[in-house]
Amino acid sequence: MFVYFTRRLLYLIPMLLGISFLIYLGLELTPGDILSYLLPPEAIADLKPEELIAMREALGLNDPFIVRYLYWLGGILQGDFGYSLASGVPISKLVLERIPATLELSIAALLFSTLFGVILGSISALKRGSLMDNSLTVFGMIGVSIPEFIFGLIALVVFALQLEWLPVGKRLMPGYDSYWDHMPHLVMPAMVLGLIMTAGVMRYTRSSMLDSLNKEFIRTARSKGVPEWRVNFIHGLRVALIPVVVLIGFRLPMLIGGTVIIEQVFQWPGIGDLFVNAVRGQNYPLVMMISFLSVTAVLFASFLIDLLTALLDPRIKLE
Amino acid sequence: MTRRPTRLDKKFDLLREKTEQGTLKAPSSNRALNKLASNKLAVLGLAFVTIMILASVFAPLVTQYDPQKVDLRMMLKPPSADHILGTDKIGRDVFARIIYGGQISILVGLGSALGAALIGVSIGAYTGYKGGWWDSTFLRISEVVMSFPQIILVLMLVTILGQSLMNLIIIFTLTGWGSLYRLTRAQMLSLREEEYVQALRAFGLNTFTICFKHILPNALGPIMVNITLSTAMFILQEAGLSFLGLGVPLNIPTWGNILNVAQDLRILQNYWWVWLPSAVTISLFVLAINFVGDGLRDTTDPTMQG
Repeated sequence: MFVYFTRRLLYLIPMLLGISFLIYLGLELTPGDILSYLLPPEAIADLKPEELIAMREALGLNDPFIVRYLYWLGGILQGDFGYSLASGVPISKLVLERIPATLELSIAALLFSTLFGVILGSISALKRGSLMDNSLTVFGMIGVSIPEFIFGLIALVVFALQLEWLPVGKRLMPGYDSYWDHMPHLVMPAMVLGLIMTAGVMRYTRSSMLDSLNKEFIRTARSKGVPEWRVNFIHGLRVALIPVVVLIGFRLPMLIGGTVIIEQVFQWPGIGDLFVNAVRGQNYPLVMMISFLSVTAVLFASFLIDLLTALLDPRIKLE
Repeated sequence: MTRRPTRLDKKFDLLREKTEQGTLKAPSSNRALNKLASNKLAVLGLAFVTIMILASVFAPLVTQYDPQKVDLRMMLKPPSADHILGTDKIGRDVFARIIYGGQISILVGLGSALGAALIGVSIGAYTGYKGGWWDSTFLRISEVVMSFPQIILVLMLVTILGQSLMNLIIIFTLTGWGSLYRLTRAQMLSLREEEYVQALRAFGLNTFTICFKHILPNALGPIMVNITLSTAMFILQEAGLSFLGLGVPLNIPTWGNILNVAQDLRILQNYWWVWLPSAVTISLFVLAINFVGDGLRDTTDPTMQG
């Protein structure tokens, strides 16, 4: 187990190096002076041209590409992500400010889709071939085909603009600041984001549940006289859930991608919103760093999922 | 002892009856086509996709309005006999914009899927067959590309390359080839162990011929399914990006660009005809393609019987 763990962790290093190299290449290819995201803008404004030239030399901007890349990488390892072109604020500060909002939204969506996906999937499996099962399958298909922002727009029109049950967007109204004031704002974006993932979880739970209901231990449980609901939910579902947990983990990149558009629809002030605005404003360093951070997050998440799978299933060994 | 007649028995009885009456038609030569034709959802999907493609290709025959023509006297008019889906913020006919928008949206979807297939299939087929150093290099590259959440990678490339129709197709191709590459490679890895491949090698045929002419056709089924489903995925992505205003430049009508105005809450609430028809069109079109893709999967995958 320990060997597997170390190997899997070591495997992350070349991946991250490759990705960081691509990101740095992108940074160098984008227009604009590299000094502008190494230094705060006020500092640049105060400098004379000769001083800038001296500074370039001192900062090593005339060094070969590979040396510059290594310096940049060294900075990242020490938490220095550079500065935003638009505001001159350190990128690490901007990102840290937005992380709680995005985490709140994605965790809520993950919980929602897991709960509904598992419930609907097991109903589908228990009533296989029934009207309920067939209509859930068709709904799943439709759910995959409608873009998430269209769900978002329709939800906005119905629940916020027509019925006025829920606020239109943003995370907090001005003047409110307690944590529970987020909740009405969170409901719609989390439900819409969760809906897209529900279809997949549902389909997977259905087949996994059907699989486990055909196992011997289910027959044993029935013959012991265990009540039917106990057979289905305590004996069957528990075993069926193991692969589902793994699948949910694999959906994390989709969740990160999904927040980008949903945060725009509901003006949710998270990382996705920061990212889209950076793309709109041609704020290259910010775009690149957010991309880098999101890939890193995905890689570490998949590392943890692999570990979890290995713990659950002793047959898995690397190579 | 008699056994209960099954569904198959009934089928055979029906066939016997028809044979005796001499009305049994000779089965058409292509079994896969027959199977596809008996899948109602797939046929329905195919019909819808065909109609939409024909309508957008022959757009000038379908509507007499110019999708770009601004008419300030006709701003935000509800659907009427003249404008069957009404007009938008600057008086352009919504129906004409959807029909003409289909040209670009379908072009982006299909073009990117074919581009991704060209790159993914040719690299996957060749390196999958040859193996060795090239194979592991491309496997690593595809892992790096596929570890990005897709929309983040696409938006990052949009910032670097700039926003245009051609760039968007290139970006989708660059970000989307991974899954087709993986699929083709996996197919090649199993097919290259077959005996006919050894025979071809013994005949001294060159690698390209064996790989592309003899092995690849056997892997085409799943590849076709993947291309179909990728088309649907790219159309959805184009819609999402254009909705953000970061996809196809806003002056070109596409399904996503029509939806761009829905970011304005006033339009979203009061003028449903400006955005809802386009939303419905995208959803139906993608649903139809998914039905066709599922139908194709059932016909080409021998493990799916029924």
